[in-house]
Amino acid sequence: MYVIGKREFISLFKGIKSIMIIVIFIVTAYYSAKFSNLFMSMMELTAREGEHIHTFGLLALLLLFGQLFVMGLSHDSINRETHERTIRFLVTRTSRTSIIFGKFFGIWLFWLICLTISFLITSIFAQKIDIVIFSQTMSLLTYYIALTILLSVLISKPGITMFLGIVIGLAFPIFGLWVSSTSNVWVSWMKFIIPYYYLFENDYTYWLIILLAGIMLVIANIIFKRREY
Amino acid sequence: MNAIETKQLKKSYGEVPIVKGIDLIVEQGEIFGFLGRNGAGKSTFINMLTDIIQPSSGAYTLLGVKSPNDQVKKRIGVMPDYSTFYGSLTAMEHLKFLSALSGKPVAKARCMEVLQLVGLESHAHKKTEKFSFGMKKKLGIAQAIVHEPELIFLDEPTSGVDAESVIHIHKLLIQLHKSGKTIFMTSHNLDEVEKICTRIAIMQEGQIVKIGTMDELRNFYRSTITVKIKHSPVPKSEQVKLQQWLESVGTDLEMKDPYVTINVDNEKKIADMIRAFNQCNIDIFRVEVEEPSLEEIFLDE
Repeated sequence: MYVIGKREFISLFKGIKSIMIIVIFIVTAYYSAKFSNLFMSMMELTAREGEHIHTFGLLALLLLFGQLFVMGLSHDSINRETHERTIRFLVTRTSRTSIIFGKFFGIWLFWLICLTISFLITSIFAQKIDIVIFSQTMSLLTYYIALTILLSVLISKPGITMFLGIVIGLAFPIFGLWVSSTSNVWVSWMKFIIPYYYLFENDYTYWLIILLAGIMLVIANIIFKRREY
Repeated sequence: MNAIETKQLKKSYGEVPIVKGIDLIVEQGEIFGFLGRNGAGKSTFINMLTDIIQPSSGAYTLLGVKSPNDQVKKRIGVMPDYSTFYGSLTAMEHLKFLSALSGKPVAKARCMEVLQLVGLESHAHKKTEKFSFGMKKKLGIAQAIVHEPELIFLDEPTSGVDAESVIHIHKLLIQLHKSGKTIFMTSHNLDEVEKICTRIAIMQEGQIVKIGTMDELRNFYRSTITVKIKHSPVPKSEQVKLQQWLESVGTDLEMKDPYVTINVDNEKKIADMIRAFNQCNIDIFRVEVEEPSLEEIFLDE
């Protein structure tokens, strides 16, 4: 698992897409923190919201484009291997569970580092790091990564996951935020399987997001184990 | 201990059976050749043993361990039939990554040693996207042996490789065999199998139709041996006696000086004939024995 994770982690840092996303993260973190006072004057915020205004830009970026970024970089983490049959080198050497969780671990570590750097930048202005907000944000990214891996296992063609990555990446936050606030009984139940609902609570319910991510990974693993290459 | 043991291993896709219940034992230290036409089920069988696909029914053990087993995977090396590599990695990076994945990370020196064995030392730092088909085959073998596995699966190791490299690979396989490794290989190349394999199985329509050493297969497919003897002139006094005796030991006798051609049913009769010629004061210059080649056996079958 560690070897697969390490390779996935290193390969994520290569290529122009990764560099662009890292730059977007850092620039957003820096300027949103720098101009946080401007947001304060433009919006009516509660005391707690005001306290965390420095991370506002970063959170907005992740809520709106997080899924798009994660899928943009990792939509083919599994299906590229199956499509090109390099997966045969992996399944003949290690367990399929190690492959799924190794891939997850590598991608997760990449985003953990990106997020940590971004929070360190905001901390220059805020003079502190809020561990709960950091954990909530990381739980959201964990969900995005697990969903990306699940789709990459379910769909065998990288071209389709690339297309779906854009569609889901753009539609997911809009749909997610809508079902989290709607009273329509036909769709409101879906808020429980989408992460945004749990993020609105200022407590430790974000752990449920990690639980949802875990369930998606277990499903991905079960499907991956049944597949033939 | 058996390196491979399968019991009624079957694979079907829907209603179509591909492998129809194979019972096979490969002992440690063998180079086992698996021979069959395209679509006979060779690759499906090897893919089941290496956990690339799952059997529909039946069981198998590798190195004495009920498989598929993740621990035993560390002790085997596999070259799949269709090898595409990570285009952005070099040959050296592949060997380092894949050996680490097998739980036996190797140093650069060992990678170079293995690349040298397959004749890729000058391409160690070249990205595999620039590799030719033959070079990918060689890297396929290199990655299968880099972590020094006890059991090596090679699916068509020499197909698409130039003649010089084929000789190189044969030498390497013989060298691995001498060092105690068990090799299970499939091939279309009959000469190759005949030359290097200690035992052979012929697969047809998902079943093993014949298995054994080359000698056993020959004995099975041809019960008579054609012997051609070149000799000095037969003394007139011995001609009748010799002809009568030869007719009693074999069939299809043909005597045309300086040659005698005859079919016998076992090798001992060749020795008897040589003794008989000597007793008649006839010198023997040459003895040629014609046996069925694997090609003939394969085509007959």
